[in-house]
Amino acid sequence: MAVQPEVQKKGLLSSALGVADDVFTRITAGISAGEFRRMLRGEPPGRPNPRLKPHSEAFLLHIKPTYYHESVTRFTHTFRLGLLSTYLFFVETITGIFLMIWYAPSPDRAYDDMIRLLSDVPFGQFMRDLHRLGAEMMVAVVTLHMVRTYLTGSYKAPRQFTWFTGVVLLFITLFLSFSGYLLPWDQLAFWAVTIGTSMAEAVPPQIVGETVNLLARGAPDIGANGLLRFYLLHVFFLPLLLFLFFFVHYYKVVHFGISLPAQEEEVGQDTADKVPADRRVYFLPDVMIDETSLLIVFTAILIVLTAFFFQAPLESIANPQVTPLHTVSPWYFYWLQGLLKIADKVIAGVILPGILLVLLAAIPYLDPNPSRRGKDRRVAIISGIVAGVVMIILSWMGTPQYAVEGAPSVEVVQELMPEEGAGHVREAGYAHMPVGLWDTREPIPHDDPEFAHIMEVYQASIEKWMERDPDFNMAYGFMDITQDQPNLKKIRWELHWFTSEGEAETFERYFFLHRDAMYWEEYGFRDFRWLTESREGE
Amino acid sequence: MHKPWYSIFYIQSPIAKIVWGIFGVVLSMVVILFVLATEETRMMAQTGNWEGRSIEHGAALYSGNCASCHGNHGQGEPGPALNSNYFFTQRLDDLAFAGTLEDYVSLTITAGRPSKTNGQWAVMMPTWSARHGGPMRDDQVLNVTAYVMNWEEEALAQSPEEDPWITFLDTPGDLGPSGVPPVTQPVADVEEGEVRAPDQIFASLACAACHNLLEPQTEDNRGPVGPNMGNLDEVAATRVEGMSASDYVHQSIVEPNAHVVASYMPNLMPAGLADRMTEEELNGLVEWLLDPDRAQ
Repeated sequence: MAVQPEVQKKGLLSSALGVADDVFTRITAGISAGEFRRMLRGEPPGRPNPRLKPHSEAFLLHIKPTYYHESVTRFTHTFRLGLLSTYLFFVETITGIFLMIWYAPSPDRAYDDMIRLLSDVPFGQFMRDLHRLGAEMMVAVVTLHMVRTYLTGSYKAPRQFTWFTGVVLLFITLFLSFSGYLLPWDQLAFWAVTIGTSMAEAVPPQIVGETVNLLARGAPDIGANGLLRFYLLHVFFLPLLLFLFFFVHYYKVVHFGISLPAQEEEVGQDTADKVPADRRVYFLPDVMIDETSLLIVFTAILIVLTAFFFQAPLESIANPQVTPLHTVSPWYFYWLQGLLKIADKVIAGVILPGILLVLLAAIPYLDPNPSRRGKDRRVAIISGIVAGVVMIILSWMGTPQYAVEGAPSVEVVQELMPEEGAGHVREAGYAHMPVGLWDTREPIPHDDPEFAHIMEVYQASIEKWMERDPDFNMAYGFMDITQDQPNLKKIRWELHWFTSEGEAETFERYFFLHRDAMYWEEYGFRDFRWLTESREGE
Repeated sequence: MHKPWYSIFYIQSPIAKIVWGIFGVVLSMVVILFVLATEETRMMAQTGNWEGRSIEHGAALYSGNCASCHGNHGQGEPGPALNSNYFFTQRLDDLAFAGTLEDYVSLTITAGRPSKTNGQWAVMMPTWSARHGGPMRDDQVLNVTAYVMNWEEEALAQSPEEDPWITFLDTPGDLGPSGVPPVTQPVADVEEGEVRAPDQIFASLACAACHNLLEPQTEDNRGPVGPNMGNLDEVAATRVEGMSASDYVHQSIVEPNAHVVASYMPNLMPAGLADRMTEEELNGLVEWLLDPDRAQ
């Protein structure tokens, strides 16, 4: 064997060290132990730079540039938003694969699977919350990435096509998020997606719209076929498409280099791919340490948010017969919902978003200004800000605050105890709802601060609607709490008021509340009462 | 080079970055360990949560669909009582049903029960499940089942006197030697010799399940299962030629199928009602039903 003569020649210790160094170098794809030590000490590389070897040896590193321009490694130049978007895609893939283990895309099972995931699977809720939070963050981060690129003018020559693929990626991200929305098969999902796909139906001419709608839903209405199609889009088709466009996008980014801060170049110049030797920051080790530590800290933030500040909603099972009051889309489509409120479905749902998307993709080809400097781009920057403000206003109009108010009595009850979701009463919970008949005209008679708060909100809400609605006068309400069954209370709402013509009107509605039921809001500090509450009698 | 004000926040030192990275790892581990430590409690709370929500949904469905027959509080009348000690302890044995009570309840909601034309449950239990032409999805049947089962605690605490259960006429094992169901007394026993008031009999035999005492019976206001009785004093004498009003009502109770009002189903009105009262009580009931000033 070859080992023996070598040991005889060099001695045991130095042969062993040689083998160890060899193994180390293979693991690091070309960095020897000595070079690694020099890296840790912060010493400059030798010449030729041995730290470039992993970029040619290792697949994952060969797609990373070997060095960056010092100016673009500053955090505030890019905020590392592209890196974070990519990272979030991997977070989504990994958590998504875990969720797929306990999920079957069929209306008979999907909702039960969600409940089983939350109740019986260790870390099941954590995975689901992380997946949902990651998805919403991905939409936000990808959008911010685009805003940053727009504001620094980085879409200009030669990066027009990079921007175009970026817009495609934004579009795919939105649809990935939206297609995942249906999968829990609850009321929130079902109605948001029903509204969303009904826009496809509005595409003119009618035959096209109907066909598109039929293809997306698999039937005139969303059902088993629609769920399966959205599932396949979500876990298969869209991720593949995103994967493809990601590599095109990233190849272009590396090929042209990240654009330098505009002040460092002449107008119309692009020197990003010619980095002077004294301005180079090598990927190994500097950028790698920077990116890795950023991703670790970002992961820690994600985990803390998931554990304490975010809970993915799950409402009642999808019911095509009952549309809940105030159906809303996910927040990143609020602007579209706002548009739909002020304009016709064809214009607001199809033509305007279509034009918007084409314009967005075509920005680099439409903008004739060669300068990337802020002071030369006043029109572009101001119109960008105006577009942002319009989006925010439209988003506000998309919330139930704007123009979909129901009758005052309905809205009062909706605020306290909505048809779906939490609301004040369910958040306070069973224990804080004392049995009795409570009247808003009387002083709040209870020493439980949580219940007193609910009565205050009840009174204030009635006051507010009396000011707003001339047909809602001299209003007062009851809350009748009775024990319906062991551990189950019935909460009956009764409102009385007079119309402007002096006619007396009443409204009545009741809900049930179980001791063990927990309701939560999506955002905000998590309710940990289940940790401390004794669960006697079980 | 020009340095912006926020450059003080830049982390230049790789050591500082590594320290931040280590801090991130430690923080993540701590949080994940916390989640791990509380995971079992959380899963239990979630299990309770979804059972609770199921009962809430069941309660809403029950009060909309079931309460009219089984009572707001499961006390029964006209349908069988559900919030009943007997129901939770004895019912399955008497039926010789092999499954659990939960199975029995969901089965009954799903597939209904045959009409007991000779018993006192004159209104049949419909097939509620969409699988059998009813309005409810499977999950809704399970919700209503969860709600009914939630009476257990309350029902088990009932004393026999409080139990609202009314024994079926044909409870297996109660059949006499002739095979004819014997007269079964309602659970609330009547003392020997006591004459019950007619309205009390009307209520305890669940006549109101089919007969409305307030609404008049007219062409466009017909009782859905049995004729309305608001104007019985005017109508009764016209039903059968040559029969007085009191004879007609008397006969209708003793022999329900002797004359069935047009477009109503025969065999729906239970036979044997007269066996459950004395002759004196029966006459009182007839007189009361025909009293034009009868309040209810």
